[in-house]
Amino acid sequence: MYDLINYLWETGLNLLFSPEIFEPLVFPGLIAAFSLLIVVIWLERKIAAIIQMRYGPYYISRHTEGALQLVADLLRFLFSEVIIPKSVDKIAYVLAPIILFAFTFLPIVVIPVSKDFAAIDHEYSLLIALALMTLYSSFLLIVSWASNNKFSFIGGLREGFLSLSYEIPLIISALSAAVLFDSFNLIEIVEKQAAMGWGIFYNPLAAIVFLVVIIYSTSRYPYEIAEAESEIVIGPFTEYTGILFGLGMGISYIKLYSMSLLYAVLFLGGWEPVVWPLNLHPVLPGIILFIKAFIIVAFSVFLRAVYPRYRIDQALRIAWWKLFTLAFLSLLFSYGIKIIEVMG
Amino acid sequence: MGLLTNLVDHLKAIGTGLKYLIPRRLTLMYPEYVEKLPEGYRGYLRYDNEKCIHCSLCARICPANAIKMYRGGDKKLRPGINYTRCIFCGFCADICPTGALEYTTIQDIAYEKLEDQVYPPEKFAKGVPQPVYPEKPIFIIAKVDEERGLKYDRV
Amino acid sequence: MSEEGYMLLQIGPQHPGSGHMRMLVKLDGDVIVDFIPDVGYVHRTVEKIAETKLYIQNIPLLEKPILNDSGNANLAYIIAVEKLLDVEPPPRAQYLRTIMAELSRIASHLYGIGILSILIGSSTGFMWAFGDREIFIHLMQMMSGARITYSYMVPGGVRRDLPDQFREEFRKAARYMRRRYKDYEKIIIKNPVTRARLEGVGVLSREKAIEWGTVGPNLRASGVAYDVRKVEPYAAYEDIDFEIAVREEGDCYARLLVRFQEIMESLKIIEQALEKIPNGKILAEKYEKMIQPRAKKLVEGTGRIKFPAIYVNLKPPKGEVFSRVESGKGEITVYLVSNGSPKPYRLRFVTPSFRNLLTFKNLIPGHRLADFPAIYGSLDYFPPGADR
Repeated sequence: MYDLINYLWETGLNLLFSPEIFEPLVFPGLIAAFSLLIVVIWLERKIAAIIQMRYGPYYISRHTEGALQLVADLLRFLFSEVIIPKSVDKIAYVLAPIILFAFTFLPIVVIPVSKDFAAIDHEYSLLIALALMTLYSSFLLIVSWASNNKFSFIGGLREGFLSLSYEIPLIISALSAAVLFDSFNLIEIVEKQAAMGWGIFYNPLAAIVFLVVIIYSTSRYPYEIAEAESEIVIGPFTEYTGILFGLGMGISYIKLYSMSLLYAVLFLGGWEPVVWPLNLHPVLPGIILFIKAFIIVAFSVFLRAVYPRYRIDQALRIAWWKLFTLAFLSLLFSYGIKIIEVMG
Repeated sequence: MGLLTNLVDHLKAIGTGLKYLIPRRLTLMYPEYVEKLPEGYRGYLRYDNEKCIHCSLCARICPANAIKMYRGGDKKLRPGINYTRCIFCGFCADICPTGALEYTTIQDIAYEKLEDQVYPPEKFAKGVPQPVYPEKPIFIIAKVDEERGLKYDRV
Repeated sequence: MSEEGYMLLQIGPQHPGSGHMRMLVKLDGDVIVDFIPDVGYVHRTVEKIAETKLYIQNIPLLEKPILNDSGNANLAYIIAVEKLLDVEPPPRAQYLRTIMAELSRIASHLYGIGILSILIGSSTGFMWAFGDREIFIHLMQMMSGARITYSYMVPGGVRRDLPDQFREEFRKAARYMRRRYKDYEKIIIKNPVTRARLEGVGVLSREKAIEWGTVGPNLRASGVAYDVRKVEPYAAYEDIDFEIAVREEGDCYARLLVRFQEIMESLKIIEQALEKIPNGKILAEKYEKMIQPRAKKLVEGTGRIKFPAIYVNLKPPKGEVFSRVESGKGEITVYLVSNGSPKPYRLRFVTPSFRNLLTFKNLIPGHRLADFPAIYGSLDYFPPGADR
């Protein structure tokens, strides 16, 4: 009997700490993402408040400067009634935000935490991550269409236009990192960076384009166009209430997090450097990766206090003229570096 | 050229944002901190029954019909006030020839019921309602400051 | 407005970007083809109420519609009443009125800038402008004893003299505002995103501005150097040297810049007024001597005045007068008819937002939906002011 319990305990523990389970569910997946969500939304409000010379969230937990604000918000969202308007497409209205939320998590699965710890160690893991990221906008379109509201519709339309324009610079700038390091495998890319130096120093152009695309695609300011409050209320989520609205609020932050992780892997050297206490267990280098991603996330939310928002046509012009050209140049730049490497 | 100035302006905007990350708040944390208003602030009214000469000027000048004259037991007219209507213009206190009506610096009173805000002469003469705070507040004085805009000094 | 191929969008009154009014927008894709501002949501029959109230009681009433610029609304009405009563306020009162009007203008401009900022998405611009407005509200509170509804001017003068610390406090405030302007410049005015959103948007040409009867900073941003303070000086503006802020472009950006320029100019005006202000009474002799001596004794040394009892029974002779002032949002005009009774026979109160309504309506079509809040904010249109 004792042996059986012991056996089950050990296999259970092994199963939990196996990359296939641990990565999507604990770190950097679901649990880590949720705690980041709570911190980041608080941080965003706090940063904006400090720059704007006010206090921001405070009263919900005075000793921590209101850090539990989002927990309280989530509880409120959970217990408030979900009102489903008569005019909506009910199945799509309810399911679309849930599926959208789940799909936004997916790219995290292929992002490795360290050399020996990846849920999916695939030859083409970069391409898989990019492909999974593009699922986002199609479900947002369903959300907006199902709502049967003019403001949602305009918001969805805007999101559609934007996603068409940001995906190309996103993929090209990611590919220029792949060209630079000669691999589509994210683990190999980090290994190469450990040897050569960070991608951001080799190809700063691609790094800048990718950063702008992160801000662009997760509707952070100045590209907060699909939700523009003073124009179209809250965009695709105008008709939503309760926890469904809460999901909608969190989605763009989760996307921001997953893209920042990818950014850290591609341009900031991933989990490198692996120094003493971190080499004890293969999951520990992930902390470095997480910190790097967090800095990107914090910078993106900080921009809320700096910028107004662009108009949709201006944003599209930026994407198609500036970002597209720069992304292409960065690809050529990577090729140039490769050629110099081969020649020299 | 245009592109370069654009980039510089972007960096300046972000730099200004970073500069302001050092907290310098303008907010007054009411009700933990309560501003002690200067003498002459037009707040709730104090009515002195003894000084009143029953002239009705206050009721006649009141732009919001908040003050009404009541005839008391001694057949004399005395003002009563309805704070649901009062707009705190202070005309009544300014026209009162004897100083029976004066404004105080009290302004933050909360009522449970609408009827509580009606003050007939007897209740009006009893004194000014006092604000209730959840905990003992720290009283401050607001002053203009060159660096921070407004500065709050403890009394 | 419901043909095939167009989308009819109803913005407001319950919409985060509408203010207290309903607007119908007809969209062709992203481009607005027709625009109807449906005014009247906050109509309060101010003109009719004014006929039922004493002359003195209308002071607070007329402040309410233009709440964020109540100092100037107060002044416009008082000038009209004084014309009817044929009273001339003493010079010191004139200067105090000027100071009040300019402080009120600064507060109004900061309000307008804040609203424009939040409408184009800059929450920092909104919070900064509203935060800094608080400093000028603090100054006005020192002068008048109230935060927003000052009711500072009465027929024949003003209610209070300048407090002792006012000069020092204002000097600090002016320095603070000038220093802050540099930060405003970096984060809002010269921010490339703001410029992209406002430059070349909602261009109001000089001819159209005159044709549509635009007033205030919106008119001056279209290259018309028209300012009532210069054209028909009232209060102490005759003795004060100041420039009219004019720009030629006529777009939303020019309107934003004109507002900032006017804030800076107002600071100068107040500084001059504080320098030149003469000593003396703050209430006209005619009313001063009507105050009972024992009442006078009560306020001795406080700088305040007591009202003479005649204020509840002001009966101007029969006649019609017209007055106008340049408020923060533009020209306020008051047309007052007296039939000899203690209440106005007719009061016509034309607010700047009401006069800018036509500009607002005509300027929108042809722009994109996202330009609508930018133009709306740049005109500093204030629905309660327009609806009265």
